[in-house]
Amino acid sequence: MEKKITNKYKRLVSFSLMGPESGALCEVDCEDGKIIRINPYSYDKEYTDANCNPWHMEARGKTFDPPKRVNITHMGLCYKTRVYSPNRILYPMKRVDWDPEGERHPETRGISGYERISWEEAAKICANEIKRINKTYAPEAILCESDMHGEGKNVAPSHGCPNRMFSLTGGYTQQMRNMDSWEGWYWGAKHVWGCEPVGEMAPQANLIPDMAENSDGLFFWGCDPEVTPLGFGMKMPTLLCYWFTELGIKSIYICPDLNYGAAIHADKWIPVLPNTDTALQLAIAYQWLTNDTYDKEYIEKHTYGFDKFKAYVLGEEDGIPKTPKWASEKCGVPVWTIKALADYWAENKVSICHGNGGSYIRSPYATEPARLEVMLLGMQGLGNPGVHQCKLIEWNMWAANYPLPYTPEFVPAVPHICDAIRTVPGDIPSNIKMSRFPLSDAQKERAPEIVDLFEVLPGPKQYIPRCLVQTAIVDKHAEWMGMSCFATAGNPRPGNNRVPTVYDQFEKNVYPRPGMSRIHMIWSTAPCNVTCWNDGFKFQKAYRDPEIETFVIQHPWMENDCYFADLLLPVCTKHEMHDIGNDMSSGTYVSIYKEEPCIPPRGESVSDFDVCVKVLEQFGPEYVKAYTGDLSEEERVRFFYKASGCEERMSFEEWNEKKIFVVPVSKEAKDAVPGLGDFAKDPEEYPLETPTGLLEYSSSNIEKFMPEDTERPPVPHWVEKGPWHDERLSSERAEKYPLLCMSNHGRWRIHAQCDDIPWSREVETMKIKGEDGYLYEPCWLNPKEAEKRGIKHGDIVKVFNERGIVLCGAYVTERLIEQTCYVDHGSRLDPIIPGEVDRGGAINNISPTNPIGKNSTGMATSGFLCDVQKVTEEDWAEWKSKAPWAFERHYDKAFGVCVEGWMKDYENGDNYHG
Amino acid sequence: MAKYGFIIDVDRCNGCYSCFLACKDEWIGNDHGELGAATAEGMNLMRVNEIEYGTHDKVKVDYVPIPCQHCKNAPCIAKRPDAFYARPDGLVILDPAKSADKDLLTACPYGCVQWNEAAGIAQKCNGCAHMLDAGEKQTRCSECCPNQALIFGDLDDPESEISKFAAEHAAELEDFQPAFKADGAVKYMYLPKPFICGEVTFEGEDVKGAKVTVTCDECGKEYTTETDFLGDFEVQGLPTNKPFTVKIEAEGCQPKVLTCRTAGSVNFGEIILEK
Repeated sequence: MEKKITNKYKRLVSFSLMGPESGALCEVDCEDGKIIRINPYSYDKEYTDANCNPWHMEARGKTFDPPKRVNITHMGLCYKTRVYSPNRILYPMKRVDWDPEGERHPETRGISGYERISWEEAAKICANEIKRINKTYAPEAILCESDMHGEGKNVAPSHGCPNRMFSLTGGYTQQMRNMDSWEGWYWGAKHVWGCEPVGEMAPQANLIPDMAENSDGLFFWGCDPEVTPLGFGMKMPTLLCYWFTELGIKSIYICPDLNYGAAIHADKWIPVLPNTDTALQLAIAYQWLTNDTYDKEYIEKHTYGFDKFKAYVLGEEDGIPKTPKWASEKCGVPVWTIKALADYWAENKVSICHGNGGSYIRSPYATEPARLEVMLLGMQGLGNPGVHQCKLIEWNMWAANYPLPYTPEFVPAVPHICDAIRTVPGDIPSNIKMSRFPLSDAQKERAPEIVDLFEVLPGPKQYIPRCLVQTAIVDKHAEWMGMSCFATAGNPRPGNNRVPTVYDQFEKNVYPRPGMSRIHMIWSTAPCNVTCWNDGFKFQKAYRDPEIETFVIQHPWMENDCYFADLLLPVCTKHEMHDIGNDMSSGTYVSIYKEEPCIPPRGESVSDFDVCVKVLEQFGPEYVKAYTGDLSEEERVRFFYKASGCEERMSFEEWNEKKIFVVPVSKEAKDAVPGLGDFAKDPEEYPLETPTGLLEYSSSNIEKFMPEDTERPPVPHWVEKGPWHDERLSSERAEKYPLLCMSNHGRWRIHAQCDDIPWSREVETMKIKGEDGYLYEPCWLNPKEAEKRGIKHGDIVKVFNERGIVLCGAYVTERLIEQTCYVDHGSRLDPIIPGEVDRGGAINNISPTNPIGKNSTGMATSGFLCDVQKVTEEDWAEWKSKAPWAFERHYDKAFGVCVEGWMKDYENGDNYHG
Repeated sequence: MAKYGFIIDVDRCNGCYSCFLACKDEWIGNDHGELGAATAEGMNLMRVNEIEYGTHDKVKVDYVPIPCQHCKNAPCIAKRPDAFYARPDGLVILDPAKSADKDLLTACPYGCVQWNEAAGIAQKCNGCAHMLDAGEKQTRCSECCPNQALIFGDLDDPESEISKFAAEHAAELEDFQPAFKADGAVKYMYLPKPFICGEVTFEGEDVKGAKVTVTCDECGKEYTTETDFLGDFEVQGLPTNKPFTVKIEAEGCQPKVLTCRTAGSVNFGEIILEK
């Protein structure tokens, strides 16, 4: 056989789907313009040992050395399938029913198919529509849905490019990302301990070494360390959890499900009904108060309003003592277990671990468990050695020193073009710096070439919190508190943080603003509202609303909101472009690396940045110049490196050759005081960011601004039912919907992303094959609940309430508490009847419409009532007669729903493994 | 000459399926010549058995990765020496040129040989021989395992990680199915075994520190433990399908004696002691 001449090359590409930040580093083997394999990157130990001050931890006579190999996640390993996915949008496409010159047929969005058009035609339509909307209504009639969590990129980011474009074409309405996965912390815990900007404990410095040495037990409360950290592309938490066990520290999981972390690491699993943690917490406080087993001296010196809290817990306020018996009936934990848990906690040093997300912190009234957690920690001496709240994710984000001692000796300041989450000028006091990615003076001095590019363009005209976009469009009106900006981190870009103070939460806002237009056009780079946000069915109704004349989406894959778009613009993946990557959070080292295309862009796809260039070309060369600063993608990489500060440590030529600069670890990193240690020692000298500087057991701000709030009163309460939610098992609704649905981030996805990886779809916890061959999203059920309903493992079931019906595959397991069903959010929508019935298992479709509380603008996507039943022959017959087209769409048995199913006269020509 | 081996520590496996996925990444659509043809979607040269055992709320999950066991007494070679062969380094290869035969699927008692419908050939794990021959030191599955649950290396090199690990854990290593007497180059630690558990209460409170003695009625072997802070006890790693007697003793209470059989794991649930 003739020997093939091959062209082999390696590329460094990060895996991160939590854009803007890039993440853990992969090494991609390529050959002849094809990706062969993706491996974890290994730091060159010889180099780093000599130059980078490698860190390690010691505790109880044992050592932890971070792996030199970057622990990329299973999603990172499979990314080849996403690059070559048959579900890629490869060409501009137009919905066949939509004619910008004639009938627009909003009512067939989610039903009708697409046809390929040229880039020229697509760009022209886009430009004409922007001009027409600006003229007919006003610029704010364009809603820009572009905020976060696509692929992490810096020179041509997944989000923010259209915002930048609309800043040049007249303005827009900003979809303001609500503080998702932090709901309870942001709207609740912040009122107890300040801890700006998100309300999770800050600082987090050196918590892991401190816990390793001093904690006896770790509570993983509604936390899955084997799931939520994966989006940033690393598995360091897994290694840490094994180490904690090796050290003899007890891992106690308190959650409705034996989650993936609990299945591996738990010494104890205490199942609790979804969103009833508040009752359990109150009973623990009751035990401590009545047994005198809390740190009274600490409470004396460190707290405000403790007496009011005590009065509520003991029943002096409402006549109901919050006893273990009272709590047990609500939370499903036996009385003796509650007592034993309270005793254990009082007798041992306990820290609580979290990884964002989860049912615990994003349910109706999530403010209450979040606040109570802080208060319980306070009663046991929060900030003292071994007593902390520790995050197993986002280690680099909220403070100069990280929970793991890998803090770099200098923080590379890689610029990031296009701010995806701008505030409305004038909304925020001028003393708060709101521009998220401006150039610092130092960056400007280092790289004058990009100063023009970073000129601050006009901001949006008005905004709508993302969790209220569907309501705003369907109801033509919305009101809410706060959310005038999205809090973001100070790191990795020092000086770029915006910190909404807690006072933002007491400002009332409205859509549309007086004198402003409603929305008539939508442009999205984040098409996952129907599966990742609250009441996805209402989002579908919004997207089909007659007032929405034009809906444009730019995205690499055909999924979710895309089925409702009128125009689809093809975007390339990270593996098809140049970029400068920053590994800030995998935990071994901070590094800055050069990313280069593994393959040319597939089809006619271009970067998100260049999509908008194509549209702006229709406006004129001056627009393109203002947008691009006359810099190419590679030039942006070059000058962003120059601005980062790394060039003073490694020349561009050397970096270009080595492809990576590893930042040495700060020698002082390990000396920073752990967590809130300073506050614990001296609260007067080191006050918290609350009005009193103390832990507030009755919030002085809520006392002042909204003392009558029954859903988030000054002292946290068990709220059985309130004006905003009626989602308890005690509700009359529970007669029809007797199960509490819990939902977490997916084990095999990052929100909506990676649901299409065919290889993980073979794993049963990812998808279950129904008898019709369709791969359904698993719905976990306890065997007793399944038996009551005649459901067997693998049956096709409907999960439903008043908001609609979502189809799933029954996953019958002992790993779930009774009276509960469990479906992760983010499965790809496959609409049978848009706004009513979904085959794809997108559970958020039936989550509550209202935010977590009347005054708390977070989304409640877990802990809501529903029922689960087998899908009947009559159900199928009804749906097939109402929506025959939904059953005729092509379905790929490996990848699932695919672009082919939505094409008229499908002709791809660039198939997977072509 | 190297002699390759694998050790799979089930206790260190977090079920991330990286081995399973990396293996697919290596093989689906990638041809490796004489050492293996490309596989098709849906095929897994590395499988993972996910095992849930016990009952609510004392339930466990174990993940058992199963590559080709690269047996020293390979049943596949014994049955079909025309198609399978062992290399001097111990890796067992199915020759792609001789694999167009569905009967080859029956050659492996572990079920490690799979059928590629599109190509019409039988296929199995080659231990990443193509990568080792190209100078790599690790297989894809061992390279991508984040937790050192899957260790690969040269057993002939006493300084290799696997040799040291094997020496340290010699007593715990076993074949996946010892009954096959195939002596795999893949050895396992902590394969799932039945456990007996319960929660001990007295007058509505958990009993901490109660003495629990679990005795095998057949061989008389005794396992002792104490109830923990939640009144729970658990004895792991028991032989399957044996009769056991469980005795619980706590101060101020009558001893309690229970019996069971480890057909699966046994969860007694709440065990109420009396005065």
